[in-house]
Parts: sequence; C-alpha cells; structure tokens
Amino acid sequence: MADLQTQRAYQKQEGIFQNSKKLLAKKTSKGVRYWKEVGLGFKVPKDAVEGNYIDKKCPFTGNVSVRGAILKGIVISTKMTRTIIIRRDYLHYVAKYNRYEKRHRNVPVHISPAFGPVNEGDIVVCGQCRPLSKTVRFNVLKVIPNEIIGNVRKQFVLF
Amino acid sequence: MGISRDSRHKRRLTGGRMPIHKKKRAFEKGRQAAMTKLVSGEKRVRRIRVRGGNFKFRALRLSEGNISWGSQGVAKKSKIVEVVYHPSNNELVRTKTLTRGVIVQVDATPFKQWYAKKYNVELGQKKKKDAPVEQTKKSKSLIKKLEQRTKENVIDQLVQEQFANQRLLVRITSRPGQSGRADGYILEGKELEFYIKKIEQKKK
Repeated sequence: MADLQTQRAYQKQEGIFQNSKKLLAKKTSKGVRYWKEVGLGFKVPKDAVEGNYIDKKCPFTGNVSVRGAILKGIVISTKMTRTIIIRRDYLHYVAKYNRYEKRHRNVPVHISPAFGPVNEGDIVVCGQCRPLSKTVRFNVLKVIPNEIIGNVRKQFVLF
Repeated sequence: MGISRDSRHKRRLTGGRMPIHKKKRAFEKGRQAAMTKLVSGEKRVRRIRVRGGNFKFRALRLSEGNISWGSQGVAKKSKIVEVVYHPSNNELVRTKTLTRGVIVQVDATPFKQWYAKKYNVELGQKKKKDAPVEQTKKSKSLIKKLEQRTKENVIDQLVQEQFANQRLLVRITSRPGQSGRADGYILEGKELEFYIKKIEQKKK
C-alpha cells in the first residue's frame, strides 16, 4: 500500500471520499474504489477493480472518457512510465503506378497500470480520448499478447 | 508581458521546429500568476474581466477561508494561520503563498465550538479526556438526541490531537487566483498521516 504514494502530493482517486465515518471506524486499508466501464464491449481488467494504483488518466479508474476513433497497433516501445509507443502500418496508393507503398506512423498511447507488463510486439487496441499530454490522445483498452520474430520496428503488420 | 499559451513555439513530436507563420493571438494570451499571499490583515481581491465578458477574482492577499470537515459534514469560515507544506515548490511555503493543493494550518476554534454544541464534548482538553461542557439546563429530548449522536460518531485520533494545539491541518482545494477564495477541507485519515510525515521530513 505504501508504494502507492511515491509523489510529494497525496495520490488518491479524485471523486472518492476516503474519510467517511464508516471508513474511519473500520481502520482496514481496503477503501472505496472508483471504477467504470468504458463501453464498446471492452472488458474492465480485474486489476482495475481490485488493484490499488492511482492513475487519473486510466480509462477505467480515472477521469478520461473514450470516444471517437479506435485504433489497433503493435507495441514498439515500453520505456516510458505509463505510456507506450505503437506502430500503425498502412498502404498508400500511388495512382501513377497503380501500386501501393508501405507507410507507418508511430502513436504514443497511455497505458494504465491495470494491464500488466506489456512487451514489444504485443498488439494493442486503443481508444481516442481528450489530449492527455502534448502528444498522447489515445488510451489502451485491450492488450493481445503476441510473439514477434526479429526487430519489431522492421515488421509490417496490417490490421 | 507577452505570456502566450500557444503550441506554435514548441517543437514537434519528431523534434522538428514548427515554422512561425502567425503573430501571437489575443485568445492565446496568459496573465501573470496571482501568488496569493497569506496575510493577517485585510484581504485584497481584484476583479479581472476575462474572455467572453466573464470575471475572475484574483486574490492577492487572503487571511481566511471556508473550511469543511468532511466526515462530520460541516463547513466553517476560519482564519488561516500558517502555510506548512506545498507539494510542488518549497519556495511557496517560505513566501507563504496560497495556491490550490497547499497544506495550511487553520484556527480550530469555530470547529471546537460547533462540536461542543452538537455533541456536548470539549475537544482538545489536555487533562480530562473529553470532558463535557458546562451543564446548562437541557431538556430530556435534547439529552437523548446528544446521546444518539455520540453513539454514531467517529472521530479520527490524529484530528482530535490537533485540537489540543488549536490548529488543524487543511488542504486548500479552491484556486485563489481564479475564484478569489481559499477554501479547503480538514485532512483526515491516511491523507493526514501522509502529510504529517512529509512535514516532519521537511523539518529535519
């Protein structure tokens, strides 16, 4: 429980009142937890409901709503705290030659601590939300584990 | 001045520069921060006309705020005595600046009086533990009501101890530079323990 509070300000879920008389009397560490469904048929991970983490940008336990586009991509980098980079591949049609060329885009996506450790090569479904930072506008909704042979950044996987 | 809140001066995600093809616009302008100071005398609040014809109340000097006691469900206007901790910047504690999220010490007397009236108990008595107030004549129904209330009442141990010093730890939740007020809530439970620990660490 104590490893939750790593910041200088007390981390808690915004809308939950932790000090009602009932909770003060109980003296156990299990408090009330706020969680919500994101809609569109996505299941809420068990860790979001039972876990202890505090993440205001989590789609299940935080203050973001998922609306707009739903994207699928392959994870190429997990080095940032609570955010990953996914790669989306697509084909671009060149009319002069009647052919396609491969193109890709990297999208930074916020990932909630509810999803366990995500590895490079996993496939991820993410939903659009309001801007969470300078470049992040998407939030992970589902992780599909996947094995990739070779360098992730050199793969072309069309969804 | 010239504080602007545009994103055109920032680099792209790829690291590339953004070409500047527009001047700064009025809708992107920012204003100087309020840096509301804690003062023991007169308050000073300026009214600022903002975009759309609306008003913001920039508090420049404040001395009191409306403090709520969450678990009891009351709010009382109380004097803010001292700034004790700020999670973002220690400088703000030194200069006694009031912002949202700052931890302050607040005068406990309004809450003490309210508690005595509601539960007939003096908080913060050092020798006798929870000694009852002077016995004014009370009707039987009032006595019964008081007993019922005390039965259902729970008060945090750490909060009770603070009453002895006449000071309660409070977290400011309003934005003094926007609304002109310094309102907050009394810290209780785990949050109180957390901040007490932080303040002790700082003292060392």
